[in-house]
Amino acid sequence: MEKRTSAPFSRRDRWTLAGIGVALIISTVLFVRSDRAHDWRYYQYEFKNRVAAKFGAEKAASVPSGLQQIWAPELQRADRCITCHQAIHWKGFEQAEEPYRTHPERILRTHPVERYGCTSCHGGQGYAIDAPEAHGPIEHWEEPLLSSALGQEYSLVEKGALLQMNCNVCHRYERETKGADAINLAKRLVNEKGCRACHVINGRGGSIGPDLTFVGEKAPEQYDYSHLSGQKTAYAWHVAHLKEPRALVLDTVMPNFNFTTKEAQSLAMLVLSWRREPVPASFLAGAPRTDPQTPEEKEAERKMATGPGAWFVKTGCFVCHSISALGVKSPAQIGPDLSVAVEDVQSRFGRTIDDFLNAPTGTMSVVLSRQIILSSEEKAIAVQKLREAFAEYQKQKAAGTAAPLSH
Amino acid sequence: MRGDPMATKPTTQKPQAPGVHPRRLWSIQPVSDRQAGDAVVSNFILHWFPAKALKDSLAWRYSLWLGTISAALLLLLVLSGLPLLFLHVPSVERAYASVKDIEYVVTFGYWIRSVHRFAAHLMVAAVFLHLMRVFLTGAYKNGVGQNQHREWNWVLGVGMLLLTLLLSFTGYLLPWDQLAFWAVTVGTNIASAVPLVGPQIRELLLGGRAIDQPTLIRFYALHVIVLPGALGALFAYHMWRIRKDGGLASADHGTRLPTRADCSPSSTKTYTLLGVARGTGPTIRAFSTEAPNLTVNSIPDLTRRIAIVVLGTIAAVSILAVFVHSPLEEPANPLVTPNPAKAPWYFLWLQEIVTDTTIKLGSWTVNGALVGGVILPGLLIALLTAWPWLDKSPGAAAGRWFPQTRRTQNLVFLVLVLAVLALTLVGTFCRGPYWNFYWPWQSWPELPRRI
Repeated sequence: MEKRTSAPFSRRDRWTLAGIGVALIISTVLFVRSDRAHDWRYYQYEFKNRVAAKFGAEKAASVPSGLQQIWAPELQRADRCITCHQAIHWKGFEQAEEPYRTHPERILRTHPVERYGCTSCHGGQGYAIDAPEAHGPIEHWEEPLLSSALGQEYSLVEKGALLQMNCNVCHRYERETKGADAINLAKRLVNEKGCRACHVINGRGGSIGPDLTFVGEKAPEQYDYSHLSGQKTAYAWHVAHLKEPRALVLDTVMPNFNFTTKEAQSLAMLVLSWRREPVPASFLAGAPRTDPQTPEEKEAERKMATGPGAWFVKTGCFVCHSISALGVKSPAQIGPDLSVAVEDVQSRFGRTIDDFLNAPTGTMSVVLSRQIILSSEEKAIAVQKLREAFAEYQKQKAAGTAAPLSH
Repeated sequence: MRGDPMATKPTTQKPQAPGVHPRRLWSIQPVSDRQAGDAVVSNFILHWFPAKALKDSLAWRYSLWLGTISAALLLLLVLSGLPLLFLHVPSVERAYASVKDIEYVVTFGYWIRSVHRFAAHLMVAAVFLHLMRVFLTGAYKNGVGQNQHREWNWVLGVGMLLLTLLLSFTGYLLPWDQLAFWAVTVGTNIASAVPLVGPQIRELLLGGRAIDQPTLIRFYALHVIVLPGALGALFAYHMWRIRKDGGLASADHGTRLPTRADCSPSSTKTYTLLGVARGTGPTIRAFSTEAPNLTVNSIPDLTRRIAIVVLGTIAAVSILAVFVHSPLEEPANPLVTPNPAKAPWYFLWLQEIVTDTTIKLGSWTVNGALVGGVILPGLLIALLTAWPWLDKSPGAAAGRWFPQTRRTQNLVFLVLVLAVLALTLVGTFCRGPYWNFYWPWQSWPELPRRI
C-alpha cells in the first residue's frame, strides 16, 4: 500500500509552475523598478553635487534627500515641488537653470513658502512628483503651471503674465496690486469701459449681461467653442470673445471695445481669476475684502441717478448712449448721444422719433425687443424726455455751455 | 523530504496513525499515496480538498479553470484592497487627495491601485465567462450521484455574479473623481426607473437625493464589509456544494462503475479524532464508486494546478498593472457633466439599450430606463436563475461541451451573450459626446481645457 500512484500531469505541470515562478519574479522586478524610477532622484543628486562644488561637502550633506513636500494646512495644499526644486532658499543659484534656481527672495518675504505652498501662486499639480504631471498641461488636471512657456503658447504680449491670475485670487478686491501689471491694467479697463453697466462684478453692477463675480469657476466644458478657431480653452475663448464678442456669440449685444491684444489678454486673465477660492481670513490681513466705490464714483453715480437724466439711467438707455445735455455719461458709449436724437433720427432714418421707437430697425430692434422692453406709455415718456433733452441741448448750445457730444 | 524515515523505510517503521505526524509542512513530492493523503487530513488549508481527485475534473480544456481564476482574482482583490483600506479616506473632502497620494507618493501605491482595479475588472469578466462555461457544458445538471443539487449551486453562482458587479460598482465611486461621480450618477439613475419605488430605491442607495458624503460612506461600507462578507460566505457555500454534488459535472462520467468496487481493507486505514486515537484506530472496510485508475492524489496534482492558475493570475495582473496605470480624472464636480457620461463598461450594454429604447413618438415616450434598465436585466436574471429547472435535456448531457441534446439552448444563449457583448463594445468604443456614434478610428471633438 505504501506506493505512489503515477500521475500523468506532474511533468508538464512542474515546468509550467516554474515558468510562472519566473513570471512572478519578472513582475516583482518590474513594479519595484517602476516605483523607483523617477527623475527627482537625479535632480537631487545633481543639486547636491552643485552645492558641494560651490559650498563644500559639509553644506551638501545638509541637503535633504527623498520625497519632500510643503504642507500648507490652511490652504489644504501638499506641494511636492521642492522634491526637485531644492534650491528655492539657497542663495547663490540665482542664475542657475531650473530646477536648480533660487526663488526671487522679495516676494517670499511677504508670501513665505511654508505658509503659501507653491501651487497657490504658480499653479501646477502639487501632488505629482514627475515634471509632466506636475507642470501640465495634462489631461484631467485643469491647473497647469502658469509658466512663461505656457504664456508663449498663447503668444502673450507679456510672456510671464499668466502667473498674475493667481495673485488676483486673493488680491481681487484691490484696485492695484504691486507687481501684477497685467491685472492692474485689466482692472482699470473694467472701470473705464464700464463693464458694470451690464455685468455684476464683485456683487455690484447691471443685469444685462451675466454675473461675472465668480465666472472663473465656469468649467471649460460650459463654453461654446463652435465659433472659436485654434486652442479650445476657456482662456483662449475669453481673449477671442473680448476682441470680437459677436464672432463667438452670434446674438450677443456686448459691444466690441476695440481692445488691443494685450488688453484682451489681461482682461481674460482677470476674468478667469474671479474664482470662489476660499481664502483664510488670516491671509487677507490688511487687504480689502470687498470692492467699495470711491466717494467720487459714488457721487458721480448719484448725480446721474437723481439728475434730470435719471429716467434714462433707470431704464438702461445710458448703457450705450450718453445724454450729455442732461449730464448722463455712458460707460460704453457705443450708441449716438441722445441729446440730439430728435434731430438725428430724422436725418438718419427719415422718420420721426415716435415712429422709430414704435418700429425700430437695426440694433435698436434687437435691444428694444430683448433687453429693454418698453410699454407704449413708456415709449411716450421716452419721446417726451428726448424732446426735453433736445430743448436743453439747444438752450446750452445757445448759451455756449453745451458739453461736447459723445460719439 | 526524501530523507523522511517514515517514507523510506515503511516496513520497518511501526505503523503510525495517519494525519498525526510531527511535520509542520506537507510534502510537495509525496513518496506514497498515504503521505499524499495525510497532507489533506493534517493541514488546515488543504483539508478542503478531497484526498483524491478525478483526472477528468483536472482537465484544462473542460473547465478552463475559470472558477479558480475568479477566486484567485478575489484573493488578489482582498490582498490589494487591504493596503488601500489604510490609505483611502472615505470623505468627500479627502477621498480624491488620498487617491492622488496613493498614485504619486505611496511606495508601490500606483501599482497596488492598478492591481486592485485590473483584478476587479477582470473578475467581472472571469465570473461571467465561468457562468458561460457552466451553461454551455450544462454543468448545473445533476448526473449519476446521490442527492446532487447542482441547480442550487448555479443559483449561488448567479448571486455571486451580481455581488461581483455590485462590488465593482461600489468601488467605482470611492476615488471621488469625475469618472466615479458620473458613472454612479448614470447607474443610480437607471435604478430610479423601477416602477413605483424607483426614486425610493435611489434615495436608499444614495442616502439622500444627490450623490454626496452619505453616498460615499454607504458605498464604502458596502464595498469593504457588506459585499465582500456576503461574497465570502457564498464562495464558501459554493465550494462546499461542489464537494457535496460529487465534484465537477465532467467527472460524473468517470464515476460510473458497473458495480461498487470493493477496496481491500488496509491495515493503516484508521479513523483518528484529532489524533486522540494515535495508532490504535479500528480498521474498517472501504468501498469506492470511483475507479482507482481514474483518480490522482489531490496533493500534489490538484494543488499544483491550483498554484499554476492562482500564481499565474497574480503574475499576469501584476505585470499588466505596471504598464497600464489607473485613471484618475478631475475631482468630482456635480455642476459639470463630462460628455459623454458613461456607466462602468459592464453596464454599458444596459446604457446602450436605455438610449436605444428611449423613443419619442409625438407626445408618447417609451421610457428607456424602464425597458433597458429594469425590465430587460430583471428578465434576464430571472431566466438565468430559473434555467436549471427549465432545461429538460437528459442528465447525460451534463459536463460535456456542446452536447447534441442541448444544442438549441446553447445557441440561443450564445446569441444573447453576443448581443450583450456587441452592445457593450458599441457603448465602450463607439459612443462619443452626446452619445453620438463614432467609429473607433474617428476622433472625438477636442476636449476643452481651462488654460
